[in-house]
Amino acid sequence: MDLVAGRAWVDERRPIRHLDPVLLLTTGALTLVGLLLVYSATKGSLLQFHEDPGYYLKKQIAFFLLGTILLLLVASADYRFYKVYAGFAYAAVILALALVRTPLGSSTAGAQRWFEFAGFQVTPSEFTKIALVLMLANVLSELRTPQPALSDVIRVTGLAALPMLLVFLQPDIGTSIVLVAILAGVLVVAGTRARHLLALSIVGVVLILGAFQLHVIKDYQVARVTAFFDRQSTPADARYNLDQSLIAIGSGGITGQGYLHGRLTNLNFVPEQHTDFIFTAAGEEFGFVGSAAILLLFAILLWRAIRIAYLSKDAFGTFTAAGVASMFAIQMFVNVGMTIGIMPITGIPLPFVSYGGSAMLANYVGVGLLLNVHMRRFK
Amino acid sequence: MSRPPAGRLVALLLAMIVGFGGVLGRLAVLQTRDRATFVQLGFDQRVRTVTLPADRGDILDRDREPLALTLQARDVYADPQLVTDPEGDAGKVAAVLGSRLAPVRHLLSSSGTFVYLARQVDPAVADRVDALHLAGIGTLPTTKRYYPAGSLASQVLGFVGTDGTGLSGLELQYQGVLAGTAGQRTAELGADGTPIAQGLDTVTAARPGEDVVTTLDRDLQYYAQLQLEAAVKANHAKGGTIMVIDPATGDILAMASYPWFDPNSFTSYSEASYRNRAVTDSFEPGSVNKVITAAAAVQEGVFPLDKGFEVPDHIQVDNYTIHDSHPHPMESMTLGDIIAESSNVGAVKVADLLGAQRLSSYVQRFGFGRPTGLGFPGETGGIVPPLADWSAATLATVAYGQGVSVTPLQMASVYTTIANGGVYIEPRLVRGTVDAAGVFHAAPPARTYRVVSAATASTVTEMLAYVVQDGTGLAAQIPGYQVAGKTGTALKPDPKTGGYYPNRYMASFIGFLPASQPRVVVAAVIDEPTTIYGGIAAAPLFQKVARYAIQRLGIAPAPPVGLPPHLLNRG
Repeated sequence: MDLVAGRAWVDERRPIRHLDPVLLLTTGALTLVGLLLVYSATKGSLLQFHEDPGYYLKKQIAFFLLGTILLLLVASADYRFYKVYAGFAYAAVILALALVRTPLGSSTAGAQRWFEFAGFQVTPSEFTKIALVLMLANVLSELRTPQPALSDVIRVTGLAALPMLLVFLQPDIGTSIVLVAILAGVLVVAGTRARHLLALSIVGVVLILGAFQLHVIKDYQVARVTAFFDRQSTPADARYNLDQSLIAIGSGGITGQGYLHGRLTNLNFVPEQHTDFIFTAAGEEFGFVGSAAILLLFAILLWRAIRIAYLSKDAFGTFTAAGVASMFAIQMFVNVGMTIGIMPITGIPLPFVSYGGSAMLANYVGVGLLLNVHMRRFK
Repeated sequence: MSRPPAGRLVALLLAMIVGFGGVLGRLAVLQTRDRATFVQLGFDQRVRTVTLPADRGDILDRDREPLALTLQARDVYADPQLVTDPEGDAGKVAAVLGSRLAPVRHLLSSSGTFVYLARQVDPAVADRVDALHLAGIGTLPTTKRYYPAGSLASQVLGFVGTDGTGLSGLELQYQGVLAGTAGQRTAELGADGTPIAQGLDTVTAARPGEDVVTTLDRDLQYYAQLQLEAAVKANHAKGGTIMVIDPATGDILAMASYPWFDPNSFTSYSEASYRNRAVTDSFEPGSVNKVITAAAAVQEGVFPLDKGFEVPDHIQVDNYTIHDSHPHPMESMTLGDIIAESSNVGAVKVADLLGAQRLSSYVQRFGFGRPTGLGFPGETGGIVPPLADWSAATLATVAYGQGVSVTPLQMASVYTTIANGGVYIEPRLVRGTVDAAGVFHAAPPARTYRVVSAATASTVTEMLAYVVQDGTGLAAQIPGYQVAGKTGTALKPDPKTGGYYPNRYMASFIGFLPASQPRVVVAAVIDEPTTIYGGIAAAPLFQKVARYAIQRLGIAPAPPVGLPPHLLNRG
């Protein structure tokens, strides 16, 4: 191997030359669709109150720019350094989740969820997802055995259970579900024995049933879930979200009613449309073709994430990528699922598309991590 | 830990593919197979059909002066589910509406999706409500019925409910004509209830109702009511009825019963005051019936008009003793005297000669026992016993006006027939209608038929003129005009005992003028006057209203009629 050729080989492996353009383009496309939909979903009610119809759009663009900066920062340093900081990140979000329940945090509709920060709302539960991914990937990649032992599974589950519990008590069932999915995804990829996974599932189901029995879950959440399982006997109020959601999506038909021409979207029939129910605007205005295209973008995103997990040089990179993939997948599945009536209604935003700053930042950090692992797969 | 097996990544990918498949499949079903259903559901929840009320026609007097008008108004409504601040909004709305706070607050906090906060408010007030721009609170166009003259002819006009439907009187009778046809506006509304700019919005215009031109004369009606109220109070009576009728056309120029009500605020009056008692209530007519008895006797030529009857002050018929109103010695009376003195005993003697069959037939031909044909809501035809049920006592009592019941309008029609030369003419309240284009459509002329000959009518007129000149009707005299008329004083039947109240009377005076060329029939009825007799209680009311009618209608004096043969010598 001569020197020139060797230099070329090193050059070839410089991280900057191994960006994943498909991942970035997909992320950008989803974000762009989100901007379009946020504008469509909010302009009607903003105009009605004589506000700037681009109010939410502009804020979302700001979140996107902030997210891009975070992505670059996260991608620039070698991800393996993050193993060192995973513990700090984990401790920080646990502290934040605890503090948000004190008078320092703000609440709405009985849920204590965010900090009010210079006019911005910072939601710690969004960043908890990323911290948990890193923490689990860190712990599992340090194992010396080819498969996690039962004691390891219990230890890892315990690490995940603490933030889950804190988020659950806010209450934010949606984020709890995401944390569960991250734990499951990482455990599966880490090669956890099937019987351990099964036992864990059983414990989870028992805990969920117990939560219902002990009325830990708030009434409105019970009503939403009951509305899902027993359509006929639920009160109109509890069904309203789902009905409007189904009408909006169903009305879209194959090709949709056209951008900015969705009747329900324009007329604010769908509650929370720019956040949790943003997919209804896509369904109504872009139809099946447009909705399927958005799903396709998510499929590409997840394919790239799994591919990055596969290509990763080390276990930490694989677990991190798998965790981020699980995080996006579960959010997409639960969010879209609830708008089309195949999942109970829980407050989960659609990644990159729903309006919301903290979620946008956390998602861009997630993409930054994926990109980081991809860029450094040869080192 | 070294890199884990790739198989687990494949498993994760498979799980995701299953999830995608589920979502995509469900999405396809919703957006293709079920699309029509959801489009319809969405449309249904957006589209509201609003009724556009048709302008109700006016009710006018004979000179087209307004008696009932329709004003533009608005209903103020709320969808409590959309009201964000019931407490604060209630304060603002109540302040504008000038209503009490508590009921508005209660309505705004209620659980339904539609409540009226106020109905038929002035458009200016409604504009101020709209200007508040409160979510879930709006106004709808409607109309309000307004009766500019308040209680004037209120029982004839009737009133409408808040939905604009006639509930009584001409408003009810001519509902179909006045109402017109409502239009519709079908519009798509947003979740907050405001119309969508580019949405569906189809309007079917309302077709306005027609105006109804009545036969009433507003001024005459007003004066008649004024005098009726005064007469009822002066006689400490329970109530009374006044009517003015044109005998040539059957047109009712004035019609009212006291106590009346103000249709602008009908709910604050007793329901009894809504009744147009001139046509809805029947009572025993009393001596007014003697006119029928006399007309029948003259028409049938049963005896010469100068025949003298020996009339005591009481007579036995079956088990009943029939008295004259005042004790008197046996007197020799002609038919003219019997009418002038209003002798019950004399009338019984005349009826004896006439017989049940003929008297019954005339009673019916004069319009008793059936509604007049006016078609007024709630009109009754009174009660006349069928001939088969007549006993000697029936014949006797019908002769002087007990044992049958008739409405004041039926009584007045007897005089209208005499005044109209013996031809019965159906009374009417409506001259015609005016359509939206302003074209007048005359009502068909009143139905007529001959009851007695013109000669008989003028003979009876002479007798009635004699009543006013020398008999019981002196108080009805008008200087310069010859009045023909007859007093009536009837016992009121007691529904509890089946007999009569010992001291409750209907006092009446019905007549026309000028006797030789009658222009108006005026009927004055006083219910339970303390003064009892028609000549005292009702004749002065007749006189005042008739005198005003002369002025109002410009009635010229006419040569007097002669007097019938008579035997009584009046100082």
